[in-house]
Amino acid sequence: MQIKLRKRDITSALLLLGLLLISLLFIIPIAYCVFTSFKTTTEILQEVTFFPRRLTLENYAYVFDRGAKYINYYWNTIVITLSSVAATVFMAALAGYAFAKLPFHGSNKILAGILFVLAFPLTAMLIPIYMMESNLGIINTHLGLTLPNIITILPFSIFIMRGAFRGLPQELEDSADIDGCGVARTWWSIMLPLAQNALVIVLVSGFYNVWGEYTIAKTLATRENVMPISVALTLLKGEDWNYGVLSSAITLSIIPPIVVFAAFQGQLVEGMVAGSIKG
Amino acid sequence: MARVVSLRQKHKQRWGKLFILPAILVIFLFVVYPIVYTLILSFSEYNFVFDPAPNIVGFRNYTSMFKDKLFLQALSNTLVFSAFQFAAMMVFALLLALMLFFVRGRSWLFRTSIFMPIVVPASLVCLLFTWMLANNFGIVNRFLIDTLGMPRLASNWLTTERTAQGSVIVVSLWNKVGFCTILFLSGLQGISQDVLEAGDIDGATGIKKLRYIILPNLAETYVVAGIWAILQTLKLFVTPMVLTKGGPANTTQVLYMYIYKTAFLSFDMGYAAAMSFVLSIIVMAFALLNMRLNTRKD
Repeated sequence: MQIKLRKRDITSALLLLGLLLISLLFIIPIAYCVFTSFKTTTEILQEVTFFPRRLTLENYAYVFDRGAKYINYYWNTIVITLSSVAATVFMAALAGYAFAKLPFHGSNKILAGILFVLAFPLTAMLIPIYMMESNLGIINTHLGLTLPNIITILPFSIFIMRGAFRGLPQELEDSADIDGCGVARTWWSIMLPLAQNALVIVLVSGFYNVWGEYTIAKTLATRENVMPISVALTLLKGEDWNYGVLSSAITLSIIPPIVVFAAFQGQLVEGMVAGSIKG
Repeated sequence: MARVVSLRQKHKQRWGKLFILPAILVIFLFVVYPIVYTLILSFSEYNFVFDPAPNIVGFRNYTSMFKDKLFLQALSNTLVFSAFQFAAMMVFALLLALMLFFVRGRSWLFRTSIFMPIVVPASLVCLLFTWMLANNFGIVNRFLIDTLGMPRLASNWLTTERTAQGSVIVVSLWNKVGFCTILFLSGLQGISQDVLEAGDIDGATGIKKLRYIILPNLAETYVVAGIWAILQTLKLFVTPMVLTKGGPANTTQVLYMYIYKTAFLSFDMGYAAAMSFVLSIIVMAFALLNMRLNTRKD
């Protein structure tokens, strides 16, 4: 009995150690980026240390003072992310409710169709989208970047919302019917507040998907003034190709998704599983 | 009464159609229409800059693909990378999920650090890795030379063929494995307590329990995780694009990237459309194969 107990302890100690090492592998690159953003240029290029020796804010100062264009990149990312996510939440909340509670002839087939087109890689759509937007003159605009981003997160969001509305009891709807509450009002003031958790999942997962989106922006933003941070930073050259400045810009753009993720981890992990076949 | 119900039903159906309208409109304009248009384009010759309109040429785009060395190389890179990445992804994700499942006490810290890379913008991660893997002042080489004292292990990671290919796979894995881990973890949590306890009574412990009870009960998860991993690996784009730019000598150029270059740098839309259809077919074929293989067992 004693031996068995000991064996168990060793196993769990090894497990802990293993997980600790693996976690470090995931944290180190991000930590390195954050640390580098506080280092001086000489320290970065000559000493190559992991931890900073002398803390400096000069890199951040550069981003905020001289880098009006960096602020502009952030602005682009923020505008594109907020508008795509807002539009998606609205459309998914409506469509998810319809698929769950207001089925009509053929609605299941439409839902299956949405799932099917998900299997197509984005490149199969981007060529015509590029041509279409080019002809409409909305290439290199926030609108032109927002609309294709919606379709990358919309199907997943519809499935999440549909699942949430299906989980709500039928009696709620029946009593709303009896009270003479119209469909739109039932949706808005009774059902939607009860689907709050799903709304959070759609919001948060949409947020970090669009925030870091690269392929669409790389294709449809060819002018610097509309580029989001995820593309713009990869194109810096010459004087701007400075690891200190770059790492502070990267740090600033990875903090929002990490904070949001840490705050909603529990809910998110569940939700991502529920609609895992996306993109 | 029946008539009243059916009237209300009709009324609701009308609202249902109205409710899906915005979503359907966007999906039609930005998904369905583009896919159909891509199919048509794939049978045409169309340079977006020079030609006034697409010119139907039949299967020429499809046949010329197999004489195009760059295409063949990109295709083989895609398949090889995907095979390695898929295998590594499934094994590591399952392993990580098992570790997180069995570790005692609170694993919030471990979970957060393993899942965190998923939410970090992939292109910025690659940017970060380009200078961590840089030759002279990269921290990876510094660590190998100065800290471990093994200069032989240091390498010019991103400009040597083998290590560049390896770096693309490892960095993509670093960025994505967390999501697959979540899938496996939820699969593990979905195994009912009864099944696990029945195993305890039968005396199945340790490896035996894992081999005969836990792993076979994950069948559904293999399908979901498998499809997800296939989609991710075949659509690999950001990592080679930012980390290696397809080099050295096109050894990390994948199909997705070649399509991007053909369409948006050379504007040869017809040929690019044909290649994206080939890629779509490959993706679907593997997704179906995965589903077949994993459901046949039952």
